Amino acid sequence: MDYKFLDGLKYTSTHEWIRIENSIATVGITDYAQHQLGDIVFVELPEVGMVFEKGSNAAEIESVKAVGDLIMPLSGEIIRVNQKLADNPEFVNSSPFAEGWMIKIEYSDVNEIDELLSVDKYKQIIQNEEN
Amino acid sequence: MDFIPHDNKTVSEMLDVIGVKSLQELFQDIPNDLRLDKLNLPSGLSEPDLVQQIEKISQKNKIYSSSFLGAGCYYHYIPSLVDSITSRSEFYTSYTPYQAEASQGYLQAIYEYQTIISRLTQMDVANASMYDGSTALAEAAIMSTIITGKKTVILLKGIHPEYEDVVRTYCWGRNVCVETASEEILKEKLNSDVAAILFQSPNFFGDIEDSLKIVKNLREKNSNCMIIQVMTDPTCLGILNPPGSTDIDIFVAEGQSFGLNPSFGGPGLGIFTAKQKYLRKIPGRLIGKTKEINGDQYGFILTLQAREQHIRREKASSNICTNQALCSLAALIYLLSLGRTGLKEIASQNVQKAHYLKMRLSKIPGYEIINKKPTYNEFLVKCPNIDALCNLCKQRDLQPPLKISSYFPEMKNIALVCVTEMNSKDSINSFIEAATLALNNEAEEI
Amino acid sequence: MSFNIPLIFDKENENIQQNFVPKMDIDITELNEILPENLLRKELPIPNIPEIEIIRHFIKLSNRTYGVDTGIYPLGSCTMKYNPKVNETIVKLPGFAHIHPLQEENQGCLELIYHISKLLGEITGMDGFTLQPAAGAHGELAGLLIIKKFFESKGIKKQKIIVPDSAHGTNPASAKMAGFSIIELISNEFGEVPLDELEFVMQEGDVAGIMLTNPNTLGVFDKQIKEITRIVHENEGLCYYDGANLNPMLGICRPRDMGFDIVHLNLHKTFSTPHGGGGPGSGPIGVVNELIPFLPKPCLISTKKGIICKNNDDKSIGRIKAFWGNFGVIIRAYAYILALGAEGLKKVGQIAVLNANYLRILLQQNYFLPYNRICQHEFVLSDQGLPNDVSTEDIAKRILDYGIYAPTIYFPLIVPGALMIEPTETEPKSSLDYFVEVMNKIFEEAKKNPELLKNAPHKTPVKRLDAVLAARKPILHD
Repeated sequence: MDYKFLDGLKYTSTHEWIRIENSIATVGITDYAQHQLGDIVFVELPEVGMVFEKGSNAAEIESVKAVGDLIMPLSGEIIRVNQKLADNPEFVNSSPFAEGWMIKIEYSDVNEIDELLSVDKYKQIIQNEEN
Repeated sequence: MDFIPHDNKTVSEMLDVIGVKSLQELFQDIPNDLRLDKLNLPSGLSEPDLVQQIEKISQKNKIYSSSFLGAGCYYHYIPSLVDSITSRSEFYTSYTPYQAEASQGYLQAIYEYQTIISRLTQMDVANASMYDGSTALAEAAIMSTIITGKKTVILLKGIHPEYEDVVRTYCWGRNVCVETASEEILKEKLNSDVAAILFQSPNFFGDIEDSLKIVKNLREKNSNCMIIQVMTDPTCLGILNPPGSTDIDIFVAEGQSFGLNPSFGGPGLGIFTAKQKYLRKIPGRLIGKTKEINGDQYGFILTLQAREQHIRREKASSNICTNQALCSLAALIYLLSLGRTGLKEIASQNVQKAHYLKMRLSKIPGYEIINKKPTYNEFLVKCPNIDALCNLCKQRDLQPPLKISSYFPEMKNIALVCVTEMNSKDSINSFIEAATLALNNEAEEI
Repeated sequence: MSFNIPLIFDKENENIQQNFVPKMDIDITELNEILPENLLRKELPIPNIPEIEIIRHFIKLSNRTYGVDTGIYPLGSCTMKYNPKVNETIVKLPGFAHIHPLQEENQGCLELIYHISKLLGEITGMDGFTLQPAAGAHGELAGLLIIKKFFESKGIKKQKIIVPDSAHGTNPASAKMAGFSIIELISNEFGEVPLDELEFVMQEGDVAGIMLTNPNTLGVFDKQIKEITRIVHENEGLCYYDGANLNPMLGICRPRDMGFDIVHLNLHKTFSTPHGGGGPGSGPIGVVNELIPFLPKPCLISTKKGIICKNNDDKSIGRIKAFWGNFGVIIRAYAYILALGAEGLKKVGQIAVLNANYLRILLQQNYFLPYNRICQHEFVLSDQGLPNDVSTEDIAKRILDYGIYAPTIYFPLIVPGALMIEPTETEPKSSLDYFVEVMNKIFEEAKKNPELLKNAPHKTPVKRLDAVLAARKPILHD
């Protein structure tokens, strides 16, 4: 199966991608993740202002046959969420790295960024899971 | 009786195909020390013998010609169409319609049920059913704690005591605190940790609450807590204001009055409705209308299944799987059979007949109607001698009203009287006679 | 041309036939003299519909509904067996149908509930029963609350319940409703519970118990069951038996002997009460002696005066439902047990397993069975190896075109593309042979004409429906 991977992003072993720009992290789920879930029907996003620790569940992504959690890759405060997903949950399928973005975090601990995976390490994880 | 369709020859043939010599061999995985020799049960019965034996048991229960007993289970007329349709074995021998395309009939019926309940209650969303009114209320309470993140629910006085018990059990399971309050002291208890207020109207004692006022007062004090109403006899919705017109968050009811026999209290029907904004948190099955993937026809399908246990597993807000589908079909047929004209008429007769009895009882010295608020088909009456009244009723083949002391021991000599459209004038007058005679303690022990 | 049947609301008219309202025989007082105006509703948007239209509508809908009476219904773990018609007669006896749950003269009903408890006790080996739970999942909740109360009464705090990955979704959901968190155990390659992992998890402590069904959802009888329950007991946990798969064990083997402390039964599965299209069911639970005080109230005991109600208030988990349980369902199960008797019940287990293995042997010729060994009442196929990327869903939808119902799909989760098949003991050989014929024909179609499957069903009133649209833009009523 050919999944899309984007260079220039960080990843987690739980299939989130992270774009870091100007001390803000934009987060979504990867192409592999949206394939596993199937057609997304609903995304339950957190409220702006909520604060989460790294590793906690920030959002829930529902498809017809499954539910997935968006796990915070970094600790911090939610400063924006993708309102468009309310009417267009299918963006997560059609454009997981762009229009399907989910939350923006003002991260509180810059050291946590080192724990994120490079695109190559993430590709490796996917290869292992497929075998 | 035996429902196995194979003869011995067939069994042998099948064993050959499988490649074993005996049925015993098919259980080779079961350790010897676990194998039963035989069950210590009597031999089976043929159909006539079975019917005869069970009929004898049924005759140990008493059937009255008329009843004044309600308290959560009601005698209403069940239109013949209900049984006629729910006896169709395509309906009752089917299971949950997972394969939508082959189950369009039943799915459409449940969709129509959801529609008619929405219209009747004026609530945005109705699910396909819960087990009964008591568990529907308990699940609504739990749902409110999940939505608000708060850990306390408050029960307004007047909820059916068995319903209150069930709510307490469910809440204990989830470590949710349950408090009770009267309307007067409610505002003291309404702090920021309250997930929901639960109230019953018409309540257990018969009072019709002013729901609009309750909701308005609560919203003024705490706009974040949810308001949940329960009802035990929803035939009153033929004339009373629907819950949806009062900004209630969740409305649940016991649907037994809609076409189900009393049947010693079960199966019932848990009607569950809520505001649109809670849609994705509602427990239970939901039937939705959709289109063909490659076509123009519409069809019906189980939807939003990601809420449910088979997908969400331990993250589901409820574990409900099998619900009360056939009972919701019965309720739909009941409501369609009566129509708005019939339902309004039935509800009116309930009020009028109860009122008739209430007025006449209040004129008998020694009897006092306790309700200060308007009532539907049940009311509380203080009696000079409730045991005498009950015995005299039985002598007249009338099922006596509930002695409230069975739930509230301190409330002695108080009866909860129920009158429905099924009580004829003769039976009501007979009850009045019994009440009059009870004054003179003219009771024979039965 | 549309094959849709219009909603019943389309048949509305102003005809105000009042066939079902008794004639008012008292002097009427106007409603607004009895009730304040502000309590009365202004509109009632329920349609008035002529009786013949209602009947025809629902007959049409019934023709688009498939039940056990229509044909084979091989849903795994649902036990869609024949529902005896005599039970429908019995339930309508006025001496049951008209009885109020709070009336005093109820000895017939109490006797029936008491007696079925004894019968179920003999069948399962358990000491005490409650018939209150309205469904299997409800019984699970009650059982888990009993576990919770048991430990609370001893002053011990235990937060976790073990559930195998093959378990039905209600198991973890019920555990959560009782305040527990889940530890999932991954089954080994034989579909069994791995004993060493079980030991390890139990020794960590904080485990209140394990929920298991045996045979499991793969149809496999876990031979080590007594070891499993021993390990849990040694570490002071309790063992809960999910009775959804009891059918093959009737008269053959008992959960109590396997070491279980709490058992729930599904009367609408094992004991032939109708599934009703999704209920009503009944999920009684049985417990060992030590746990009887914790049963939900009310409890029944036998005395010289007859069967009476005893409220074991102090240790009981409380009430889980108003009144007595789904009595109408309980009557049917009672009649079934009496009708079959000891020999009949044993035959149920034997033939259920015969029918399942017969199908297994014949289907394995074309389909992949990850656990291909003697099964009990059910077995699981996988879509692995199917030609042309045909999926389990495609197979299921194509089955519908042959006029029969599809098995359970995508469960248990541990088998990719699972197709779970349980024929039950009441399925005739000709019906089993037809099912095999259909499955083999579909396999050929998968090789030669996969599009036929991927676009199936073709012959049902509607074609494959858009589940995604239904979930994205839910329309739940008209």
